[in-house]
Amino acid sequence: MPDPAKTILHAIGLQKRFGGVVAARDVDFALTEGELRCVIGPNGAGKSTFFALLAGIQPPDAGRIELEGEDITRLKPFQRVRKGLGLTFQTNRTFHAMTLRQNLDTAGRGGEEPAPFRAALTAFGLDRGLDRPVTALAHHERQWLEICMALRGRPSVLLLDEPTAGMSPVETRRTSDVLRELNSGGLSIIVVEHDIAFVRATAQMVTVLHQGAIFAEGTMAEITAREDVRAIYLGKVREETA
Amino acid sequence: MPQKRRPNPLRAAFTGPHDIGRTPPGWALMGLILLGFLLYPATASAFSATNVAYYLLNIPMALGLSLLWGYGGILSFGQVAFFAVAGYVYGVVAGNMTADPTLGSILGILAGLGAAGLLALIFGYFIFYARVAAWIVPILTLVLALLLSTFLGLTAGSAWKVGDVALGGYNGMNIPSLQIGNFIFQDYAFYYLTVATVVLCFIGLRIRVNSHRGQVLIALREDPLRTELLGYDVRLEQLVAFVIAAVLSGISGLLYVTWGNYITPSVTSLAQASLPVIWVAVGGRDSLFAVMILTFLLNQLTYVLSSAGNQYALIITGVLLVAVMLFAPEGLIPRLIELGRKALRLKEAT
Repeated sequence: MPDPAKTILHAIGLQKRFGGVVAARDVDFALTEGELRCVIGPNGAGKSTFFALLAGIQPPDAGRIELEGEDITRLKPFQRVRKGLGLTFQTNRTFHAMTLRQNLDTAGRGGEEPAPFRAALTAFGLDRGLDRPVTALAHHERQWLEICMALRGRPSVLLLDEPTAGMSPVETRRTSDVLRELNSGGLSIIVVEHDIAFVRATAQMVTVLHQGAIFAEGTMAEITAREDVRAIYLGKVREETA
Repeated sequence: MPQKRRPNPLRAAFTGPHDIGRTPPGWALMGLILLGFLLYPATASAFSATNVAYYLLNIPMALGLSLLWGYGGILSFGQVAFFAVAGYVYGVVAGNMTADPTLGSILGILAGLGAAGLLALIFGYFIFYARVAAWIVPILTLVLALLLSTFLGLTAGSAWKVGDVALGGYNGMNIPSLQIGNFIFQDYAFYYLTVATVVLCFIGLRIRVNSHRGQVLIALREDPLRTELLGYDVRLEQLVAFVIAAVLSGISGLLYVTWGNYITPSVTSLAQASLPVIWVAVGGRDSLFAVMILTFLLNQLTYVLSSAGNQYALIITGVLLVAVMLFAPEGLIPRLIELGRKALRLKEAT
């Protein structure tokens, strides 16, 4: 069973600059075991940089990252994945020359199939027709396949970058349901997302990024109650969608 | 997900998804081709069999490039460098051990393949662990081949002797035949040795590409970053493929020097360096079977044209490459198969 007192992923004082732009500014972030956290923020808030720093695609200028108490700051992306990070990208990056089964086998690194993976595969309805080419799948099914691929590698923390990008409301809702189901089974999940409807339906806790720094943290109710957050993000979204 | 049991490697080599010829008609064709090659010496002179062995001996190098480029997405123009290194090293070792030709042959083979593999390991380490951009790799590998050619060209004269063996510069180096006991691999014996080597390399690579590691290599070709973020050290996977391809080039190099008992630096010239790329591209780079067939046919074409005094053998091969790239960029044999399937479907529909 997950231990809510245990911090499973911990970022401490992360800094990242690209030329004159500060993309991550003293980011302190702690995810407890079994938590489902959404990271939100307007465009340019530093969400992608935060994802890249956690994944190891970009090295931080300062600060460190710990996974289950182990310092992984200097580890390469593939080493972080082997330590227990499961990742999906904002854009779909399944292997198009392969079938679903081959994609999943590749993601498995030769290991046994973990239970959350099997549950997600069934819940997304991808367990049938595994010998189809990926190109036969609709966009949202490819996104789901990516989540299943990340789960196939037996992660202790699932890190998803905008998993519902381009999905219809029904598909987004189903994604949210499956993620919450996985989380209730004990899996720790971080979702970088800007779809507020998804975040509202999914997150236990929300972290708001703004100008590369953590601007606010709390439950969705706490976050939406804050005027300053509404001003930088939520209000802006409402204005845009109005 | 419903588990599909992974078949044993040899079964996977003939039924796995990553090559053409994985159904009974494909196996029948392979069997017929093999039977034809096995029976060929019964109807041919030793001279003809030796010529056919020459058309075959570049196949391991081409198959290695197919693995590296077609399956792994890493284009190398430097396969001939490993071919030459294996050939020269075999020549030096076997040439210094003429008193014990059996030991000389065995050590020569081991040293030749070891040197090709070691060169690839060192060179590949710097390329892949430095994460050199994919488009630079062909240039670097071509530079390796040309540097080696230039260096070997400077080795004329008595200063460039290793033991009793002179490297010989552009005069070339004489090399003893492969010999085990009193048995010398020449004529028909060399022919069968070449056929057996090609068959083993083909089956070995079919096992490799249809294994889990083969699938990782294909994933790498598709999207290296995604592959890394599934937990694979892409640098290591690329390096292993590079070394396997180099050793296969070395096998071709060994067959070449024991076929002609001679090697010169021209084997790593610019024209020679481009040939494996042409064989693989024309055949169909992500099909080992197609590459094997086309390498044989193109080598035969070049040999026949050259021995008939045609000055334009290379130009004809180059024009063929351009034509294939324009009209069948996936390769000649995959294109022909696709056209055949379309014609069958059309026939069934009418």
